[in-house]
Amino acid sequence: MKFPRTSGGFYAWLFQRLTGILLVILLIIHFAITHNFPKGGGVTYAAVAPRLATATWKVFDLTFLVCALFHGLNGVWMVVQDYVHSETAQTWIFYALCTLGLILLVLGAITVIPFKA
Amino acid sequence: MLEKPSVIKRYRLHIGTIAWILHRVTGLLLVFYLMLHIWVTHHLSQGPAGFNKVMKAVQSPLFLFLEIGLLGCVLYHAFNGLRIIIVEFSKEGVEAHKQIFAAMMAVAIFLFLVGGVPMFIHFLHTLAG
Repeated sequence: MKFPRTSGGFYAWLFQRLTGILLVILLIIHFAITHNFPKGGGVTYAAVAPRLATATWKVFDLTFLVCALFHGLNGVWMVVQDYVHSETAQTWIFYALCTLGLILLVLGAITVIPFKA
Repeated sequence: MLEKPSVIKRYRLHIGTIAWILHRVTGLLLVFYLMLHIWVTHHLSQGPAGFNKVMKAVQSPLFLFLEIGLLGCVLYHAFNGLRIIIVEFSKEGVEAHKQIFAAMMAVAIFLFLVGGVPMFIHFLHTLAG
């Protein structure tokens, strides 16, 4: 497919779709494994810790985290662009969303990366 | 910036419009859940005691009930999102967008019942103690 020449908005649009598809796949895996589908069972420390301590799940969870934060906050940004008409306010909200994303990314990363069972 | 023409009081509620509104509402709710989820999961760093304590709090009847709503939001947002991608990337998708919406919602509602009914029963059990 040939895409037209464009500005940053095109990439936001494209990545919203790519992360969206990825999130559907990752979410199915995340949900099925975490909730021990179809048997079910409590999500306790003893049940989740050994899995979360493995490198494979750390990579999985970090990918999941990055995709979810981008998709979610980019979604909020799209809503903001539709309803907030002042450019100054838009700029401030943009930086606020970036900061929020960074805080959540760090909070998620310091949970996932150094985790030992 | 495009202004809404003053003669338009309100846009007509076509299926696509309703789908779009619901996509935004469920999307915003899911962002709120994502923040909560990252914060709750962070308690893993405090070891078994800290994590199990916060998990117990979010397994109260109120949260079990809200989780059914979460399932609904996730399913709607995921299946409508897939519809958006199909419609945007194919000519056939544009022409059959209403049928695609119906099909996606049929799957979403089916999965909502499959997941939501056991969740509701579990909620009632917890409520009864």
